[in-house]
Amino acid sequence: MKFRYAMVCSSNQNRSMEAHCLLKKQGFDVSSYGTGTHVKLPGPSLREPNVYEFGTPYKHMFDDLRRKDPELYKRNGILPMLKRNLSVKLAPQRWQDNAADGYFDIVFTFEEKVFDMVLEDLHNRDQVLLKSVLVINLEVKDNHEEAAVGARLALDLCEQIEAVESWEDSVDDILICFENKHRRKLLYSISFY
Amino acid sequence: MVGIMNPVSREKLASLSNSVKFATDLGPKLELCRQLKRDLLEEDAAALSEFLSHIFDLYSDPSGPVRKLATEIIGEIGVKHLEFVPEIAPFLITVLEDATPAVARQSISCSIDLFRHTLEKTAIQGLHSSELDSDLESSWSWMLKLKEKIYSIAFQPGSGGVKLVALKFVEAVILLYTPNPNGSSEPPPNEGTPIEFNISWLHGRHPFLNVGDLSIEASQRLVLLLDQLRFPTVKSLTTSVIVVLINSLSAIAKKRPAYYGRILPVLLSLDPPSFVIKEVHVYGANNALKNALLSCLQCSHPSAAPWRDRLLGALKDMEAGGLAEVALNQVHKVNGSVEDEKDHSSVIKEEKPMTKACDAAGSNVGRKRSGTEDSSGLAETGDVSGKRVRSTPSVSEESTKELNRNTSMSQGDISSAQSTTRKVDVDTGPVQQLVAMFGALVAQGEKAVGSLGILISSISADLLAEVVMANMRNLPPTHSHTDADDELLEDMCIVGSNTQAKYPPSFLVDVVSLSSTFPPIAALLNSQQSVPNEIVKTEVGEEVDVMAGPNSTVAYAGMAHEAENALLPGMEKIDVPTPSDIQDVGNLESGIPGLDSSFHYDGLSDAQAASSLVSTDLEDTSQEQGTSFGGKSPLHVLPSISIERSEELSPKAAVNDSSGVVSSTATSVVSSHPFVLPKMSAPVVNLSDDQKDDVQKLAYIRIIEAYKQIAVAGGSQVRSSLLAYLGVELPSELDLHKLLRDHILSDYINHEGHELTLRVLYRLFGEAEEESDFFSCTTAASAYETFLLAVAETLRDTFPPSDKSLSKLLGEAPCLPKSVLNLLECLCSPGISEKAEESQSGDRVTQGLSTVWSLILLRPPIRDVCLKIALQSAVHHLEEVRMKAIRLVANKLYPLPSISQQIEDFAREMLLSAVNIDAAEITDAEGLIIESHKDSELEKPSHEHQSVSSTGKDISAIFHQSETSQSGSSPSVPEAQRCMSLYFALCTKKHSLFGQIFIVYSSASKAVKQAIHRHIPILVRTMGLSSDLLEIISDPPTGSENLLMQVLQTLTEGTVPSAELIFTIKKLFDSKLKDVEILVPVLPFLPGDEVLLLFPYLVNLPLDKFQAALTRLLQGSSQSGPVLSPAEVLIAIHGIDPERDGIPLKKVTDACNACFEQRHIFTQQILAKVLNQLVEQIPLPLLFMRTVLQAIGAFPGLVGFIMEILSRLVSKQIWKYPKLWVGFLKCAFLTKPQSFSVLLQLPPPQLENALNRTAALKAPLVAHASQENIRTSLPRSVLAVLGLSPESQPSSQVQTSQAHTGDTNNSEKDAVAEISKESSGAS
Repeated sequence: MKFRYAMVCSSNQNRSMEAHCLLKKQGFDVSSYGTGTHVKLPGPSLREPNVYEFGTPYKHMFDDLRRKDPELYKRNGILPMLKRNLSVKLAPQRWQDNAADGYFDIVFTFEEKVFDMVLEDLHNRDQVLLKSVLVINLEVKDNHEEAAVGARLALDLCEQIEAVESWEDSVDDILICFENKHRRKLLYSISFY
Repeated sequence: MVGIMNPVSREKLASLSNSVKFATDLGPKLELCRQLKRDLLEEDAAALSEFLSHIFDLYSDPSGPVRKLATEIIGEIGVKHLEFVPEIAPFLITVLEDATPAVARQSISCSIDLFRHTLEKTAIQGLHSSELDSDLESSWSWMLKLKEKIYSIAFQPGSGGVKLVALKFVEAVILLYTPNPNGSSEPPPNEGTPIEFNISWLHGRHPFLNVGDLSIEASQRLVLLLDQLRFPTVKSLTTSVIVVLINSLSAIAKKRPAYYGRILPVLLSLDPPSFVIKEVHVYGANNALKNALLSCLQCSHPSAAPWRDRLLGALKDMEAGGLAEVALNQVHKVNGSVEDEKDHSSVIKEEKPMTKACDAAGSNVGRKRSGTEDSSGLAETGDVSGKRVRSTPSVSEESTKELNRNTSMSQGDISSAQSTTRKVDVDTGPVQQLVAMFGALVAQGEKAVGSLGILISSISADLLAEVVMANMRNLPPTHSHTDADDELLEDMCIVGSNTQAKYPPSFLVDVVSLSSTFPPIAALLNSQQSVPNEIVKTEVGEEVDVMAGPNSTVAYAGMAHEAENALLPGMEKIDVPTPSDIQDVGNLESGIPGLDSSFHYDGLSDAQAASSLVSTDLEDTSQEQGTSFGGKSPLHVLPSISIERSEELSPKAAVNDSSGVVSSTATSVVSSHPFVLPKMSAPVVNLSDDQKDDVQKLAYIRIIEAYKQIAVAGGSQVRSSLLAYLGVELPSELDLHKLLRDHILSDYINHEGHELTLRVLYRLFGEAEEESDFFSCTTAASAYETFLLAVAETLRDTFPPSDKSLSKLLGEAPCLPKSVLNLLECLCSPGISEKAEESQSGDRVTQGLSTVWSLILLRPPIRDVCLKIALQSAVHHLEEVRMKAIRLVANKLYPLPSISQQIEDFAREMLLSAVNIDAAEITDAEGLIIESHKDSELEKPSHEHQSVSSTGKDISAIFHQSETSQSGSSPSVPEAQRCMSLYFALCTKKHSLFGQIFIVYSSASKAVKQAIHRHIPILVRTMGLSSDLLEIISDPPTGSENLLMQVLQTLTEGTVPSAELIFTIKKLFDSKLKDVEILVPVLPFLPGDEVLLLFPYLVNLPLDKFQAALTRLLQGSSQSGPVLSPAEVLIAIHGIDPERDGIPLKKVTDACNACFEQRHIFTQQILAKVLNQLVEQIPLPLLFMRTVLQAIGAFPGLVGFIMEILSRLVSKQIWKYPKLWVGFLKCAFLTKPQSFSVLLQLPPPQLENALNRTAALKAPLVAHASQENIRTSLPRSVLAVLGLSPESQPSSQVQTSQAHTGDTNNSEKDAVAEISKESSGAS
C-alpha cells in the first residue's frame, strides 16, 4: 500500500471506526481519529450522553456501558459497535493531537464540520515539509447503517486512489468518476504538512 | 545484520549502498535504503563528502520509490550539512525533471527545507559579519537557481501534481521573504535557538540580502499567484490547483496582513461556478474559498479590519453567514477582551438567548425583512455604521468606532444566536418568517385582525404548532402573563402614542392575549418603542447619524436586557449582576464624549413625555385587561403553566425588566412601576434540577389533563400537534413520552390516539433521521421504538381483534423497527416466543395476518420481512393458524407478481424439507429456509433457534415412533402436513407446481405419503382437470403410481372424465405404465369390447382392486349405463385361460368367488343364463363345474335347472373331461336325490366309475333305482352296475364296492367340506 490513510469523524466511534475496520481488513495502512473535544456516546436520554475523554479504551467504555444498562446499549447498537472498535484499536484518538502519528497521504472525513476542522487544524500546523495531503469529505449520516455504507464507499475510493501512481495528478478524475458512479457528492481539499 | 554495526564505518556504508544497488526486490531495497539513511545521518561531514557520490548513484535506480528515498536522503544530508548545497542543489534541479511525479515532488520538499536553512544561515551570518564565506555564498546562489527552477514549474501551465507542491513552495518563499508582523523583529541572541526565522531581522544591514529586494520579489511572485486565479487563466486550472492556490493565498493573507488588500479582492471576485470547468467540483473550490474567507475573517490585524464587511457579505452570499458571525464574534471577543471587557462579557452572555425576539427586532430595523434576508439586512446596518465612521471623522472617532462595533457585535450575536436556534429546530426557516409575519400583522393593529385570522387558518396545524413552540422556547417562562401584561401595557402605551385613540379596548385585549402566547411579538412591540424613533432619526439627516449610533446602542442594550430575562430561567444564571449591566448602559451613554448628548437626551425625554402621557390614560383599561385576561387564561394552557414557575423566577425578571426599561425609556418606567412592584416581594427560589424536572413534569401532566377536556371543544387538530411537540421537545429524562403514551392509550379513540401517536412518531422519527450527531440520533430512534412498541402492544392487548387501529397505526407510522415486526410475528405465529400464551384466539391471528397483508401492500420496503412473517405463519404447527395464513398467502399474496416467486420458493423448500426423512436433515433444511428468508434480518435468533430445534426434536421423536410401530398413522403426518399445506394451496393456484409433488412422492416417507393422500382429493377436486395436470398425468415419475391412482380416482369420481383424460390414461397404460389399475377409474367410460380385452388384466389385480373394478364395470357411468352385464362378466371370467393368459388359476377362482359374493347382482336368473351359455361352449370352461357347484351352494332353488345342465353334460360326455368329471360327480352327490335321474342316464361304465368314486352315492342310488317304476325303465346294464340284476355276483361286487366305499366316503367328505367351505365363504 503506497499511501497512509486517516479516517476522521467526530467521536472516532462509528463512522471513522467502521471505515478503519474495513480498510484495515483490506490491508490498508489506516488510522482513525475524531475531531470532537470529547467522545460522546448516546445515553439513556438526550441530556445524559455518556462522555469520555479521547484515549479512554474502548474496552473501558464497553464495560462501563454494559454495567449501566446492557439491554439499552445492546439494542441501540452501542455495545456491538464498541466491541467492534476494541478489536480494531485500543482507544479513540483525537485528530488535533495526532502530530506524533506522522504524515498521512489521504484523510477521509465523514462530515463537513469535521472536514473543516481537519483543514483548519492542518493549516494551523507549521507547513514546512511541503508534503501534500488530500482531505476528502464523504458525507455520511451518523448511524450504524449509513456508516457501513460509507465505509464501503470509502474503501472503493481508497482503492481507486491506491491504483494511481500519484493522486496529485489524477485526483479530479478519480473523484468525478466516483461521484458519477455512486451519486455521492464529495468535497476535497489539499493541504500540506 | 547491518543494523548492529554502530558506529558505522565507511566500508560498511559502502557495502550497504552497494547492497541497495544490487537488491532486486523493491521491499528489501527500500528497507536497506532506510537503514542507509539512518546510518548516514549519523556520519560527520567528512565521511559524507566522500560518500555523497554513492548516494547520487542511488538515484539512477529504475524504481521510483528508491529514487524518491534517495532524494529524501540527500535533502536531509543537505539540511544537516549546508556545505554540500553546491553539490546537492544541481542534483535537486535534475530531480525536478524526474519522470515520476512523486520523486519530483520530493525534490521540491527537500528544496524548501534546504532553502529555508540556507537563507537563515546566510542571513544570520551576514548579521554578524560583513563578509560571508564563499561556500555559503555559492550555496545561496545555487539555492536561488533551484528556486527559479521551481518557480518555473509553479507558473508554467498545467504540470499536475508537481505544480501543487511548487505553488506551495512559492507560498513558503513569499512568507520567508516578507517580515512576519507577529514574529520578533530581532534575531535570537545566540544562534541555534529554535525560533522562526523572520526576514525583518536583517534591517537592511546584510552584505547582499536586501530586505527591500526580497520584498519586491515576494510581491512579484504574489502577483503571479494572484494572476493565476484571475480570469481567464483560472479557467485552465484544475480544481486541485485552484484549491491549493486559494489555500495558499489565504495563508499568506493571514500571516502577512500587509497583503490583505492585494489578495482579498482577487479572492472575493472569485466565482467558483463560473470558472471550474468540471462542474462537479464547484463545490470543492467553493468550500475552499469559503474556508479561506473565514480564516481571513478571523484575522485580527488592523489592516484586515476594513475588509470585514465585504468578507461578511461574500460569506453570506455563500450561505455561510452563521459561521461568519461566529468567527466575527471570536474576533470581537479578542478585541473586546482588550478594549472593553465588561461590556463584552455582558453581550457575550446573551449570545444564546438572543433569539427571535431580537431577530424580529433586527428585521424591523431593516424595514421588516423576511427571515432569510435578515442577515443581509444586518450587513447593511453594518455598512451604515461603517459609513458613519467615515462621515464623521471627529475627535471621538475611536470611541464611536468602538460603539459601532458594539452595535454590529450585538447584531452579530443576534444572528448567530438565530443560527444556533436554526440548528436546533427541525426547520425554523418558514417558522421564523411566520413569526415575523405575525409580528408585522399585530403591529399593524386593528386593520390586520382579518388577515391575522386568515393567516392562522391557512397554515397547517403542525406549522402553527411550530410557530407557537418556537415562541415558547425563546421567550420564556419568566414572562408570566402577568408580567407580560405589565410590559405590554407599556408597549401599548408607546405603540399607541400616535394612534391610541383608534384602538378599541377589545382589540387591545386581543393583542395582549395574542402576544402573551407570542412572546417574541411582545418583544417586537417592545422594541418598536425604541427602535422607531431611532429610525426616524437616522433618516432625518446625516448629522444625526453620529447620535443615532449611541442611540441604537441603547436600544440594543435594552433588548439585551430583555434577552437576559429570557436567559435567566433557561441558562440558570439567576445570579447575573443586573445592576452592573444597568451601570454599563449608563457608562455607555455617558462615555460618549464629544457627542451631542443633550440632543440625545432631548430625544429620550420626548419619548418619555409622550409615553407617560398615554400610560396614565390607559391605566383603567389596563386593569380591565388584567381581569379579562385572567378570565381567559384557562383557555391558554401554555401561559398557565408558566405561572407555577414564574412565581419563583419572575421577580428577578421583573427587576431586570424594569431596569431595562429604565435604561431605554428613562422615566416612563416610573409610571409602570406600580404594576411591577407587588411581585418583587416574592422570594427568589433556586430550584434544583430535580425540582425543575418535577415542575416541568407536573406542568405537562396538567396540559395533558387539560386536553382530556378540550377534546369536546374541537380544534384538537391544532392542539394535538402542540401536545406532541411538547412531549418530544421537552427534555426526555422526564419521561414525558410515557405520560403522553398513557394519555393516548387511556382512551385511544376519544383522544384521537391515532393522530396523536402519529404526530409524536413523526416528530421522533424526524429527530432520529435528522443530520445530527450520533447520540441524539440513536436516542431518538430508541425513543421512537419504545413509543411505537408500547402503543402497538396496548392496541393489541386492549382492543378486540376485529379492530383496525393496530393495522392503521403500523401502516402509517414513519417506519417500523424490528421489535414491532417481532410483535407482529408473535401475533401471526402464536407460541413462537412465549409458549404459555397458547390461548391466543384465532381472531388475533387473523388480525395479525390482515395487518401483515396491508403492510405488504402499503410498505414495499419491508415487504420481504412481512412476507416472511406470513410465511412463517403458513407453516405454523397449529392447523387453525396455518390455514388462516395459507388462505392469506395463497389467495391474496401469491397473485402479486412481485412476491409470488418468493412464496413459491419457500413453499417448495418446506415441501422438500418434509420429504427428507432424516430428522437432522429436516432441521437443516428448515434452518436453511429460515436463513434464506432472513436476509438482512438478524432478529431474535434465540427464538428462531428454539423453534427450529423444537420442531427438529418433534420430528426425530416421530421418526422413532414410526420406526418402531409400522402402523400407518404415525404422528409425523401432522408434521408433514404442516410443511406441505402451503404448497398444496399454491398448487391450486398454479397447477404446474403439482408435478413437484409427484416427484417428491416417490422418495417420501410413509407418513408424508399419507399426508399427501389426505390432501389429494380436496386438492384435485379444486384444481379440476387442466392441461397442466394432464401433462403431469401423461408422464408420472416412477414410484408415484399410487398417487396417480388417487388423482385419477378423484378426477373420475362423480363426473365423466373427459375424452382427453381417458385418452391420456390409455396411452399411459399402453406405453409406459402397464398397470391396469390406472384404468380402473375410467373403466366405466370405456367401450365394452375394450374392457373385455382388458379383462384378464383386471382379474389378475389384487382381489380388492378387482372387486372395485368389478363394481365400476357393473355400475357403469350415469350416462351410458353398465359397461358389462353381470352375465358378460361371469362369462368373461370363465373365458380366461390361465395358461394362455398367464394368470394364476387362483386369481380366476377368486374373481368368480367375488362375483358370487354379490348375490344381489349375480342373481339366480343371471347364473342360470350364464350356465346355459357356458354349457354350450366347446370346450367347456375349466371352471364350469366349479361355478355350477357354487351356484347350487348359493341358490339351492336352482337344483332343477342344474339337473338339466347335468343331463346336458351327460349328453356331452362329461366324463371325457377328467377335471370336470370330478366336479360333475361332486355336484351329483350334493344334489342327491335329484341327481339320481341324471346319474342313471350315465352309461353303465361311467355310472360304475361314478359309484366307485363316490361310494356314498351307491346305496341311495340303488334304493332309488329299486323303486318299481324306475327299475323297469332302466336298462339291464345299468341295473347290473347297480347290482340289481339277478345274475350279478353281489359278493364280489360288494367286496369291490366295499373296498371303494372307504375312498368315496373320504372323497365325499372332502366334497362336502369343500362346498361348505365355499358356501360359507360366499355367505
